[in-house]
Amino acid sequence: MSSGQPAAGSGQQPAAGSGQSFVRSTMRIFDLSLGEMLWARRTIFMALIVAAPVFLAVVSRIVSANGTAVLRINGERVGGGGIFGVMIWILYLKFIIPALGVFYGTSLIADEVEDKTITYLFTRPIPRRSIVMGKYLAYVACAASVVLPSVMIVFMLMVPFGEIGRSFGPLLGDLGIIAIGLAVYGAVFLLAGVMLKRPLVAGLVFAFGWEPIALLLPGYLKHFTIAYYLQALMPQAMPADDTLSLLQAVVRDVPSATVSLLWLLFALVIALILAMRAVESREYILEQ
Amino acid sequence: MPIHDQGYRHYAGQRARHGRAWWVIARAGVLERLRERRFLALLLFAWSPFVVRAVQAYLASTFPQASFLAPDVQTFRAFLDQQRVFVFFVTIYAGSGLIANDLRANALQLYLSRPITRVEYIAGKLLTLLIFLVAVTWLPAVLLVVLQVMFTGDTVFVTSHPYLIPAITLACALQVCVAACAMLAVSSLSRSRRFVAMLYAGIVLFTAAMDQALRLITGSRAWAWVSPQDTLAVLIDATFGMSTEPAVPVLVAVVLVAALIAVSIAVLARRVRAVEVVA
Amino acid sequence: MTAVIEAEHLSKWYGQVSGLNDVTVAVPSGITGLLGPNGAGKSTFMKLVTGQLRPSTGTVRVCGDPIWGNPAQYFRLGFCPEQDAFYERMTGLEWVTALARLHGLSPDAADAAARRALETVDLLEAADRKIGAYSKGMRQRVKLAQAIAHDPALLILDEPLSGLDPIMRRRTIRLIKDWGCAGKSILVSSHILHEIEAMTSNILLMHNGRILAEGNVYQIRALIDEHPHTVSIRVGDPRALARRLLTDEDVSSLRFEPGVVVVETPRPDAFYSRLTQLAASGEGGTIEEVTSPDDNLQAVFTYLVKT
Repeated sequence: MSSGQPAAGSGQQPAAGSGQSFVRSTMRIFDLSLGEMLWARRTIFMALIVAAPVFLAVVSRIVSANGTAVLRINGERVGGGGIFGVMIWILYLKFIIPALGVFYGTSLIADEVEDKTITYLFTRPIPRRSIVMGKYLAYVACAASVVLPSVMIVFMLMVPFGEIGRSFGPLLGDLGIIAIGLAVYGAVFLLAGVMLKRPLVAGLVFAFGWEPIALLLPGYLKHFTIAYYLQALMPQAMPADDTLSLLQAVVRDVPSATVSLLWLLFALVIALILAMRAVESREYILEQ
Repeated sequence: MPIHDQGYRHYAGQRARHGRAWWVIARAGVLERLRERRFLALLLFAWSPFVVRAVQAYLASTFPQASFLAPDVQTFRAFLDQQRVFVFFVTIYAGSGLIANDLRANALQLYLSRPITRVEYIAGKLLTLLIFLVAVTWLPAVLLVVLQVMFTGDTVFVTSHPYLIPAITLACALQVCVAACAMLAVSSLSRSRRFVAMLYAGIVLFTAAMDQALRLITGSRAWAWVSPQDTLAVLIDATFGMSTEPAVPVLVAVVLVAALIAVSIAVLARRVRAVEVVA
Repeated sequence: MTAVIEAEHLSKWYGQVSGLNDVTVAVPSGITGLLGPNGAGKSTFMKLVTGQLRPSTGTVRVCGDPIWGNPAQYFRLGFCPEQDAFYERMTGLEWVTALARLHGLSPDAADAAARRALETVDLLEAADRKIGAYSKGMRQRVKLAQAIAHDPALLILDEPLSGLDPIMRRRTIRLIKDWGCAGKSILVSSHILHEIEAMTSNILLMHNGRILAEGNVYQIRALIDEHPHTVSIRVGDPRALARRLLTDEDVSSLRFEPGVVVVETPRPDAFYSRLTQLAASGEGGTIEEVTSPDDNLQAVFTYLVKT
């Protein structure tokens, strides 16, 4: 080791008492986390998941080319555009988006705590809330950059070439809904991740237990789900070929798009604020 | 002055016979999990369908007007189907850290440097999970049969369905063995309990969603093989004699389930080692 | 000397367990060794000082200001934690640069600061290798590098020597002393007395969540020396040596073990001086080995707790 002088970084300390701004430190954490996230094995897992709809789109294309497509929505036979809508609902909104929200959201802070690397972030001159926000934004960017291209590919495969121009508007709508879904589920499960000891189990119960059940129940219980509002934004008709779908159709009341968006935004903001407050005030005792 | 030896004292008590270590591991695993209140709450909640079914059986046997609620073979099949969700959550809760935690703490070396074989270690871990899974599947199902007999005051129900308890036992054995083997294999793949839970949940949910979507797109139920859960359902239906028109042939389902268990065991055999040799 | 860290009636409980118990202490500038056996409360004290934990009662101030919920304090503080935890996929340079960036440095400045820090800890050659491929010693050094990269005025080092081989241990001790000479304040923890003694004479002794003693290590040793000191001497003819030793008052008791004379002395300095003369003269046989079970830290604590 070179003895003598320590690493001399003259003039690196701003005036005492002034921390870094929230926005600036958030961006730094975003940079750091995005790089980590993109190369994590979890992202490979995510890429595999989003590759599935592409595979399905190929299967569907082959089936429809053979003229054996039998998909019906509310009794009517549908083509590629309809199947695309079904895939958006069944695969993306009902499975991929909540699953990514649970898997990523719950681990944003919990991973750092479990790996004991949170110490390095907590002993920097940045507000703790910026760590939460930076990591959350990195998740949204990472998830969107993997999921949205998959949606585009599925769209290209499913929708006949002649209809692409006409369907482009609805596609943008679908992409927007998926991005909103990623953001809201991520924020809610981020909150679960910082508040609970076993956030993953709780998240799975919420996304794949509570939400499907609550959507089938009459009354106000379904208002306490995210899927209810996301579903209201869906432009396509839902398939109603099984009992659950029929039951859902019976109890379905659809809020307006504006109301849905406002509630989703409300859930997102509240979840983020609570998560930031929790991390600010919480002590993390790292297991030795 | 009598001087007492302060040095290390060797254990002079009785030792268990070789080959019993799996029970020590399983017992420790079960007791550790039972100390968690949240887990106990999950186990209790997993018994809620049993309570509903028990009340149903009681009403059917007590009030003639409610005789339409009387349980039959279909009731038990439906009951096991309901318990699937609890099998999923109990597997994740109790199973995800079984090997992953040992890998994280480098405890495998400690285990395997004792007179414990790899088979015993795996058997102990497997048994930990199996005990909990049996507690939420076979135990309530058999107890329901017992309650039905007690409520009606005769054994007509059991004698008229002599294959019911064997069917329940076989169906539960399939359900819990597949879940436990798969989870243990996944648990040996990572040092992070959470990643294991994520991977397992992802596989189960993802394959189910794929099956659902493929069924919708192609209009065929033949895609059930994509999902281990649905393949297992075919076998369980067959066990209860309900597989009149299975989504996939029963033989294919048997092969798929056997393959899944074989792959799990192969993964375990490869991953559960005291020392990892890097070429 | 001005105090860089001040704790007043500082306590920390983990549920029913007390991690730190009513500690009032002022850590002066310069190098201070935090000494104590495992479980003494060193890490808890360091986590409170670095603002990772909130005091249950009492206050802790770093450079005059509270640390909990005050991120600006980290501009002047560098922390090297005990745990062996990293972003394994990053290279050493990427990691230190990224953390330096969190101190508000521009990309270029952070890169330069990271390179300087890695050079200081002799890791520049391995800077572009992934941390996951580092040896234990390299991992310890890269942790030190991230702590010094932003040139803090106060360094908190939690067991920085653990896991290092003897050569690297000596180098790290020298490095810490050099930083101290360069005007930095350093609080360094260890449970090994001679490691701390090699770095500084100013120590804080902790035991059972309390500060047992503070100040100059020699003063503390003197305090210890007031108590009977046990010395074990392996010698060819123990009985001959015992006869010689019993002629003076600096031996309060004496017993035999196979080939060994075990002596208790209330005046170790005088005793050691006489023993040296005896060894040189050859009277009492050839002395093969002199050890003192009291030199270990636990014995020091035992003495001080009894005081």
